[in-house]
Formats: sequence, C-alpha cells, structure tokens
Amino acid sequence: MPTQATANGSPAIHLRAVDGYIITPDGASIYIWGYRDETGRAAQLPGPTIIVNQGDTVTIKLTNELPEIVSLMFPGQNGVFRLTNSGAVPVGPIYENGRLVSLTDYAPPRGTVIYQFVASRPGTYIYHSGTEINKQVPMGLYGAIIVRPAGFDPLDPATWSAYGPETGTEFDREYLLVVAEIDPVLHEAVRLGKPYRPGTYRPRYWTINGRCAPDTMLPDRATYLPRQPYGSMIMAEPGERVLIRYIGAGCDAHPLHPHGNHTRVVALDGRLLRNGTQDLSHKHFTVLVGPGQTYDQIFQWDGPVYDPVTTPIPTPIPNLRNQAIGDAGWTMWSGSPYLGQKGDIPIGVTSLNVTGEYYFMLHSHSEPQITNWGEFPGGMMTMIGIFPAGTLGPEVGRLQRDSRANSTRERR
Amino acid sequence: MTFVQVHYGATDSFITMPDGSVHYIFGFVDLTGVPENEIFARRGKATLPAPLLDVRAGDRVELTLTNLGMPQRPDLDDSHTIHWHGFPNQISLWDGVPETSIAVPVGRDFIYYYEPKDPGTYMYHCHFEPVEHIQMGMVGPLIARPADYNPANPLFKTAYGAGTGTEFDREYFLLISELDPVAHDQVHRVQAFDWSEYRPAYWLINGRAYPDTLHTAPDGDLSQQPSHSLIQANAGEKVLLRFINLGFEEHAVTILGLPLRIIGRDAQLLRGLHGEDLSHWRDVLYFGAGQTVDVIIEPQQPGLYPLFNRGYHKNTNAGATPGGMMTHVVVYPAGTLPPQPGPAFKRGAGQGSPNQLPGGRMHANTSYSQRIAGHPPARC
Repeated sequence: MPTQATANGSPAIHLRAVDGYIITPDGASIYIWGYRDETGRAAQLPGPTIIVNQGDTVTIKLTNELPEIVSLMFPGQNGVFRLTNSGAVPVGPIYENGRLVSLTDYAPPRGTVIYQFVASRPGTYIYHSGTEINKQVPMGLYGAIIVRPAGFDPLDPATWSAYGPETGTEFDREYLLVVAEIDPVLHEAVRLGKPYRPGTYRPRYWTINGRCAPDTMLPDRATYLPRQPYGSMIMAEPGERVLIRYIGAGCDAHPLHPHGNHTRVVALDGRLLRNGTQDLSHKHFTVLVGPGQTYDQIFQWDGPVYDPVTTPIPTPIPNLRNQAIGDAGWTMWSGSPYLGQKGDIPIGVTSLNVTGEYYFMLHSHSEPQITNWGEFPGGMMTMIGIFPAGTLGPEVGRLQRDSRANSTRERR
Repeated sequence: MTFVQVHYGATDSFITMPDGSVHYIFGFVDLTGVPENEIFARRGKATLPAPLLDVRAGDRVELTLTNLGMPQRPDLDDSHTIHWHGFPNQISLWDGVPETSIAVPVGRDFIYYYEPKDPGTYMYHCHFEPVEHIQMGMVGPLIARPADYNPANPLFKTAYGAGTGTEFDREYFLLISELDPVAHDQVHRVQAFDWSEYRPAYWLINGRAYPDTLHTAPDGDLSQQPSHSLIQANAGEKVLLRFINLGFEEHAVTILGLPLRIIGRDAQLLRGLHGEDLSHWRDVLYFGAGQTVDVIIEPQQPGLYPLFNRGYHKNTNAGATPGGMMTHVVVYPAGTLPPQPGPAFKRGAGQGSPNQLPGGRMHANTSYSQRIAGHPPARC
C-alpha cells in the first residue's frame, strides 16, 4: 500500500554513494558510481526516485562509500540546508586551499552529510552530485525527485495531477524517463583509477532510466537488470491522460520524439507553464531536452477506431509473403490493424504483442543516439503501448512510494 | 475534401556538393502518374530531399510506397517505410515503424493512408534502421494546409487557417540536414559504419550546400537535388519559411537583418490551451532534430539578406569556407515579382524544383549568382 499523503510530512531518506556495474544489451558491463537506498546492495542507475509531498520537510542523509568526496545537489529546490550539530546551515560551494572542491556541502569518504529542504513546489526535479560534476554525474550519481501537489492522494485518482487542481495537468497514468549518455572510456578510466580528460567526452551509449534499448522496454525491477530497476515502457488505454516526465541528466541535449501523437508540454523545470491566468502550455512532436532540464507533458492517444465489420481500414494489406515483418527476429506488430485483435505473422518471427495493442516508438531523433555503440537498434528508445480499453490494471503507470512510511525505497 | 493519391519509390542515387565531391544516397523518387511499365526505369533516381508531400486538412491521402531496390547495392535487401513524423493519433499500421508494423520488401508495394486534420509543417522519412536510412537521405518535407486554405484569397492563404494571424504571400520549405561523407562512402562500399562516430562535414538546406542553395536554374549536376533555397520576395510581403530539421544535430539559423516571427512549432499554431497567442520574435532560430518551425518574415527594405547557421563551422563544405548551411533572401521593390503561383508547390512527377519560382525569370538578364558574385547588391 502506498503511503497516505500528508500535508506536512517529514520524510527522512538515506542514500549511499557506492559503486557497481550496469549491463547493456550488447553485452557490455559498465562500472558506475551511483546512489542506492537501504534495500540495494550496489549502485543503481538512476538513483532511487524520491517521491515527496508539497510542503514536506525532506531530510536526506548521504553516506559516502566512494573513495573521494561526494555530495547531493537539488536544482530547483529553494533553501537547502545542511544539518550540523550546531543547527542548519545553508549549503554552498566549498573552497579548500583556494580551490573549488565541490559546488555544495559534501560527505568525505566513509563520512556522511545531511541535507534538508522544504519541497515547496510540486513538479519534476533532478538530484545529482555537486562534486567533480564532469565525472561524478556522468558516472551515474543522479536521480529524480517528484514533488506531489498539495491534495494529491495516491488512493484517489480524482486527485492525480502534476501541479494541482485546475492546472490542466490531471493524469490517469504517469511515467518518468530520465535520459543520459555514457562514455565508456570515462567509466573504465574511473574503474582503473586512470586519468580522464572531460574534453574527450564521447558517448557510445544513450540511456533512458539507466537502460539502453531494447532493455528499456523490460519491466520495472527485472531480475536480470538488478542495478537498473526502472523500465520506461509507457502503457495506456485510448483516451487516457498520460503524464510523461522527462529529465535530462546527461551532458548533451536529446530531441525526444514520441510517435502516435503530440505531447502537450505543461511544465518546464518544475514550473507550470502559466503566466497568471494565461496558459503557456503547447503541443510538440519533438521536445529538445537539454542537460538538467525537466519537462512534464500530457500524452493522449485518441485515434480512430477501426472495426473489421463496421469501419474497416480503407487500404488493402499485402499478403504475408509480401510484407516485411520481424527483420530482427521479433515484432511488436499484432498482425492486425484493429486494436485488440491479432493476426498472422510469419513463422519464425517472435511476436511480442500481448493483446492486439498498438505500439508507438518514443526515441531520440538524433538517431545515432538510438544505437548501442553505433549499432541500431538500441540506446535512447522505448515504446508507447496503446492497449484495448479495459485491459490494463490500475497498477500500470503508477509512480509511488513503498508501504513503509519514510522508507527511501521507491517502486513503480 | 480531396482524395489524394501519390506514389513514391525507395531507391538510391548520387548527389554532388559544391566542391565537386559525389556522395551516394538512399532516397525516394516520385512515381506519381508514372505508368507501370516505366516504374523500374526510376531505379537509382532518388532525390534529396524526397518529393514534397503537400496535402490539406480533410483530404484522404493514399501514399503508395514501392521498394525499387538499390542498383548500387544489389546485395542490400533492406525494407523501407514511410513515417509521417508528427501525424496525430496515428494507428501503428501506417506509422511506418518496422518493429511495430509492416515494412515494404524489395519489389513490393504498400499503401499508407492518412486523413490529416491538423495543418502545419511536418516531415516524412523512412524508419527502417532510421539512423542509416535518414542520414542516407530518405527524408522529405510535408505540408498539411488548413481546410479553408485558398491561395486566391489573401485572408485564406494561411499556414494555420483564416483568423490565426498566419497569412503569407510566399512560402518556402527549408529542410535542413547534415552529411557525413564517411558514412555515405562506407554504406556505398558495403562496409559497416559505427554511427556513434557520426561527424558531418557538409550542412545542407534542401539537400544542397552553399552556393548550390542559390542555384535556381535546372542543372544536370544537381539533377537529384531539385530544390534550391533562394528566398525571393517583394518588399512588404509576408514570407512563410517552413523549417524542418531532419539532421541529427541542433541548428541555430539566423537571417541577418530580418527578425523571425515564430508562429508555429511541430505543426502546431503557437497558441495556449485557451487560445493565448504564444507567437514571438526571434533573431536566431535554435531547434533540434525532428522539430519543425514555422516562421514569417516581413522584409520592408529591398536588399540581399544572408541566411546562415550561427554555428559558424556549419557554413563550410568539408572545411572550406564559405559553404554549408547558407542561402540568401532577396527582397525586391514592391510589385517586382509576380505572385507566387498557387498552389505554391505542385506534386507529381516531373514538376521540377518545388521551390522553383517563375518570378526568377524576370531577372534573367542578371542571374543571382552574377548578382552575388559581381557587386554587393545592397539594393536590387
């Protein structure tokens, strides 16, 4: 059961900065630094998603198990303090011997630091290390913060919105896509303790929630991806309002393009696109997500309903041997143009279509980013599945906290 | 409402850059109206960009794609598709993604079907191994006109419909992209290319690099690059520029001396949820791969205005300057050019350059290249 939303909670979260390995679909094993919570045994990518309520006083303790100083930054949060024995002190850049060693208060190796802030505004935010940022953030020391608007009740879908009632941000399901890149040379250099020049940054992998396609489409907490717990397969039924949250956690920009329909961009950087009463939201078919930016969008697929008897599709479909299906040995095509129906696909092709749903690709349109080290398909790509009405359970497309109050473990 | 039938073929060809280099491409060729027994003669005749698909909200559009195969790559049995990028509420059958739909094998046909409802500037491209097929040139501009579009009536000659403040006198599409010659050469020579090594050396507008962008006359060397991008207008006219980014990079496009009124993005009029006017002025248009932007310029003074990429290294051809993503806006005294013919662009085979304007012939005594090479044409 999810945590009951409270007006002014005080969640205490404990993150550890640790190392670990992630795997990519081409078989590579990549050394990372990342955050974990109390339940994890090694770094996860991205770090645990922190979900709090607007107005919460959020306390985050960071324990550093890495060989160098590490910190946490909370872009978009006002009034971040460090808790000390003598009280709360505003965080700030740390100079030692005249050299900037960290953009914010840090934890030394085997040490801890405790941060505190009031989550005053609802929205989608990032957290990441503020130390040796050109190395530590690409290494994986980043994660997401979601602040629920006042009045949000995880048990009551009528209260589900990104920014509160009457903001045009109401949703039926929600998904979080944290995008970034990986230059494996950096990761190998850190693993071996060798020098690395940030100017040579050259990504070879592009990730959504720490995974490269096609792993992006695997379920949350897939056991074979133990350090990459978050999937990014978007699933919804026709007409449902789908909140898609993008976070740019890498160093490059990523033009993310969903097929199927436009998205209405309702907020940027945790700020509702409103100017007084004037609505500034707008529809896009490609959103250029820059480093550190967050975008909240409403996606809705409300396409035509074709029926083989009453409203058949107006074009002929070639017979099976005149079609190309499943070039890679698999297909997500149902074999039928009708939602909820399945048809023939060629023998030898694995069908990954469950119940006649439509799949629409969501991917970076900087197309080298949808490869794994140059090999298509891969990288920053996932799918949006539109399922027949009534086939998706209420647990699909939920971002929620675990049952244990104040636990740091978040699950989807 | 019109029933529109178009027919495109997927095949290959070669393009040339101003430095004389020749590059292998994949692409589409217009087969609309081509008799069945002549279709195979169009193999190896792909154009960059692909033919303009120009439709209207309310049309019923049937697009037949024939995979003609690659004469230069007889080993290559890749399928092809058409993805109408940005089509709202598509069903997967006609979305053109091979992993979620049907692709077209060599020698076969497939019919895509659209009922466009929302006007705007879109794009289409092949989605089979898209990193390769898009870079290789299977990219085309796509315009959906508002249902009330009427080029004979200034109030209804608009980008987004009467009363939306998007009236225009002339229009041009500018499909911008990049070319990595190593990738093209590797594909031609049946060699693998590591796409994470993508490094373009040419930056293109409508498939050409400067100064070919200015070349309005039909030219044998540019036979597979039919679209110039010389923008011509009379002073005081509103000129709609439809920018389409089908490269893999972000681009910063600017026109020295002419501010840009951004009226649409991604085939959406810039209006808020309750109709708020979100259009705005810019001097630099910065946009990413897979985005389109509708811009209206309103030049008041006759003259020559350079359009270029503010990422200055992109105004080069394989390192040589000037070149790349540059063209010109030529503004004549009011009344000089006749109206742009309507509909401004024609579809169908053999129509020549979509951006070709008859207005250019009025100044045949001084070609634009002479004008530009000869003296600074501060005033035309």
